Amino acid sequence: MDFKVPPDLKYTKSHEWVRLENEIAVMGITDYAQNQLSDVVYVELPKIGEIFEKGSIIGEIESVKAVDEFYMPLSGEIIELNDYLGNRPELVNSSPYDEGWFLKIKINNPSELDIFLTAFQYQELIQGEENQ
Amino acid sequence: MDFIPHDKDSIKEMLKVIGVNSINDLYRDIPNDLKINKLDLPEGLSEPDLLRKLEQLAHKNKIYSSSFLGAGCYYHYIPSLVEFVISRSEFYTSYTPYQAEASQGYLQAIFEYQSAISRLTGMDVANASMYDGSTALAEAAIISTIITRKNKILLLEGIHPEYLEVIKTYCWGYHIEYELVSEKLLFSKLNEDIAAILFQSPNFFGEIEDVPSLVKKIRKIMPKCLIIQVMTDLTCLGILKPPGELDIDIFVAEGQSLGIAPSFGGPGLGIFTAKELFLRKVPGRLIGKTKEINGEKEGFILTLQAREQHIRREKAISNICTNQSLCSLAALIYLVSLGKTGLREIATQNFQKANYVKQKLGEIEGFEVLNQKPTYNEFLVRCPNINKFRTLCKKENLLPPLKLTKYFPDMKDVALICVTEMNKKSDIEAFLNAALLSIQKTKRRD
Amino acid sequence: MDSDSRLIFEKGYNHPHNNFIPKMDIEYENIDDLIPKTLQREDLLIPDIPEIEIVRHFLNLSQKTYGVDTGIYPLGSCTMKYNPKINEVIARLPDFSKLHPLQEENLGALELIIELSKILCQVTGMDGFTFQPAAGAHGELTGLLMIKKYFETMNLKKNAIIVPESSHGTNPASAKMAGFSIIKIRSNKDGEIPIDLLKYAMEGDNVAGIMLTNPNTLGLFERNIKDITKIVHDYGGLCYYDGANLNPMLGICRPGDMGFDIIHLNLHKTFSTPHGGGGPGSGPVGVKKEFIPFLPNPCIIPNNNGFQYREYSENSIGRIKSFLGNFGVLVRAYAYLLALGAQGLRRVGEISVLNANYLQVQLQKKYHAPYNRTCQHEFVLSDKNLPNDITTEDIAKRIIDYGIYAPTIYFPLIVSGAMMIEPTETESKASLDNFVNVMLKIYEEARSNPELIKNAPHNTPIKRLDAVLAARKPILHD
Repeated sequence: MDFKVPPDLKYTKSHEWVRLENEIAVMGITDYAQNQLSDVVYVELPKIGEIFEKGSIIGEIESVKAVDEFYMPLSGEIIELNDYLGNRPELVNSSPYDEGWFLKIKINNPSELDIFLTAFQYQELIQGEENQ
Repeated sequence: MDFIPHDKDSIKEMLKVIGVNSINDLYRDIPNDLKINKLDLPEGLSEPDLLRKLEQLAHKNKIYSSSFLGAGCYYHYIPSLVEFVISRSEFYTSYTPYQAEASQGYLQAIFEYQSAISRLTGMDVANASMYDGSTALAEAAIISTIITRKNKILLLEGIHPEYLEVIKTYCWGYHIEYELVSEKLLFSKLNEDIAAILFQSPNFFGEIEDVPSLVKKIRKIMPKCLIIQVMTDLTCLGILKPPGELDIDIFVAEGQSLGIAPSFGGPGLGIFTAKELFLRKVPGRLIGKTKEINGEKEGFILTLQAREQHIRREKAISNICTNQSLCSLAALIYLVSLGKTGLREIATQNFQKANYVKQKLGEIEGFEVLNQKPTYNEFLVRCPNINKFRTLCKKENLLPPLKLTKYFPDMKDVALICVTEMNKKSDIEAFLNAALLSIQKTKRRD
Repeated sequence: MDSDSRLIFEKGYNHPHNNFIPKMDIEYENIDDLIPKTLQREDLLIPDIPEIEIVRHFLNLSQKTYGVDTGIYPLGSCTMKYNPKINEVIARLPDFSKLHPLQEENLGALELIIELSKILCQVTGMDGFTFQPAAGAHGELTGLLMIKKYFETMNLKKNAIIVPESSHGTNPASAKMAGFSIIKIRSNKDGEIPIDLLKYAMEGDNVAGIMLTNPNTLGLFERNIKDITKIVHDYGGLCYYDGANLNPMLGICRPGDMGFDIIHLNLHKTFSTPHGGGGPGSGPVGVKKEFIPFLPNPCIIPNNNGFQYREYSENSIGRIKSFLGNFGVLVRAYAYLLALGAQGLRRVGEISVLNANYLQVQLQKKYHAPYNRTCQHEFVLSDKNLPNDITTEDIAKRIIDYGIYAPTIYFPLIVSGAMMIEPTETESKASLDNFVNVMLKIYEEARSNPELIKNAPHNTPIKRLDAVLAARKPILHD
């Protein structure tokens, strides 16, 4: 199957994407991840003001057939949440990179971004997983 | 009797279809030295012989005509229709309703059970059941640590001693710290590290806590600490303010008092309820209402299953799978059979009768009521000669109250007495008379 | 059939009809003197409903429910066998049902537990049992906590346990609740545990042992079982047996002889107690002699003269449930065991295997069977050969149209689109033949008329329900 992997975003191995807007990172899960989960029914987000290290578990995505955790992609403070997900979790399926974003982080250490995957590398990763 | 319908011919035909000579060939994967020749057990019994044998065995138990024993298991009247309905074999021979279309009836019944429990307790969400009150409380403790990401709980004195033991076992398994505290010390122990406070009301000693003021104080000191209440006899909710109106976060209970026979302590019914906020952390099964995919008809379905053990495996909230469904069905039928009028009446009678006995016993020389707070259908009494008192009860064909030394070795001579609507005036008189006689005889010996 | 789909709460009237409470025979006091007004509730929203309305309501609901008494219930790993009626009668004898758990004159109940214990020891090859656990998963937790305690008393830090992918579904969650991390082992192409991977896993210092289901959830007997338990023991580990699939082993072989240290049974599977729509069950845990001190408090344990009641043991894991377990379920299981006796039990094992193989051989002519082997009590088919993008769920829904219940689907997870089929020994040849005919007919329909199957079921009170809607906007009460 073909999954959308926008070239201007950064990706994690755990299938989150990040868009950097100055010191602010926007995150969500990828098209591939939402497809694997199938119909998303609930997203549990952290609270505004909470501070996490990169890699901490910060929330859960629930579908009819699975619950997955998602991770803090970059160390920093949660400054904004996508409130629409509360009533419309299906946005994660229909628009994973746009209306289905999760949250915004004020990041501490931009250099953490260096080890993220590029769109090309992420494409390879999911192809590998698909073939398994 | 083996309840197997096959005859020799059909077995032969089946073996032929499979392509083997004997059933033994189907066990070819089992190493020969593991196979046994014969179990060392007697031959099977016919139905009448079986019934006779078990009737004789059952007869070695003594059932009294009236009971003054409670302590977590209660005698209330069970309307005949409860047993009638749960004996419908479509219900009791079915499995967990995985295939919704073939199980709409039972699914609707469990949805109605969840609704009835919500109405009774005032809590937002009730699950389809847990094993019993003690495991429901232990799982509530675990969940409080998952919700708050803290690792210590406080247990207020007055929780059923067996429930405390169960919580200790679960906490040790799950690596949760716990501390048993008195009401006096509770507030000084409350700090940032506490996930939840667990308390029982009416408590093991029969006392009704002043829940509104308790909750208010806890919220003032630690607003985010979860407050978990447990109850062992829900009939009191015919009168008492329900936990849902008292800002309780998680409310659990033993539901045996709602139409389930004592049966030597099981099966009972674990009731688990929570605020809406914690919906997705509720353990066990939940039944939801939904619509047809390609239609408008409403129906019922197992929902939020992704949280459960068979899908989420080691990350599940709980490992519970089999629950106590048939008992929750009994509780539902019990609640709707009594209705609000019956439920209020039963609570009233339990209050009145127990408090009547409490007062009368307190008037007998040497008997001392130990409760300071209001009580429901149980209370604590220090008895001048508890053993004699209990023996005299038995002579009157009354199941005597609990000797508290069973759980509290230091509390000698103290009885936990339970009085319900089932104790008629004549039983109560006989009971009070036994109390009187117990001191007279003591005096004579003096 | 009643087409009235109203909830029970909508069938109330404004004045009370029922009288299920004894007449009050002492003087009423003012309730406000007994309990402050601030602690009293104002309203209770459970309506007063006439008895006949309640009975009709639930009778109609029962008729929209499928049970073993309706027909074949081939749910894999659930052992939906016939529930003998005499057991219901016995469990309801007032001398059992009215017995208080804390009363002293309970000799009949204790003797029953002791006798049941003896029989189960004989059936499984273990030395002692606890009956506190209320269900299989509860038994798993109990057994795992005993393993934890065992190593704690030896001052060994063993906090990981091996759980093969073919093990019972609740195992990983139970291990987590007992504080273990999980080491997964994949099955080999024969559906069994690869010995080399097992050895490799046991190399870890912190590995407490293995949880095993045998026959496993593929319905296959682990042929290397003796090597498996020996390897685990050689590395200092313990072997836990999940008894979910014990049925085909009855009277044939015993987990105790296979080398298991701790086991649990599901009385509601193997020993015919009714599933009750999901419970109550009973999950007794059996142990070899050296683990008896770790059994929950209180417990009935063997001694030189037979068995004795043990209130407390220093090394016990503690209590796992209030009172002594789901006694009413124990009564039924005991009655069943007495009715069957030695010969009957062996016949249960044998016919359960006969029935499963009879189905497998015929169904795998059309459906894909990933493990082409003699099965034990159950077997698994996959969705591999299904035509026209038909899914396993479609097949299950169409089965319901033919008036029978569907198998366990999408489990075990290791088989794509799994259909796990366990007929049990109480299904007659005629019932099995009907099941085969239905399955083969559905396969033919899948080829010739896929839409019919994709839109199934057609003959039920409702059509397929929207599970996504139910989870997105949960409505859990009226």
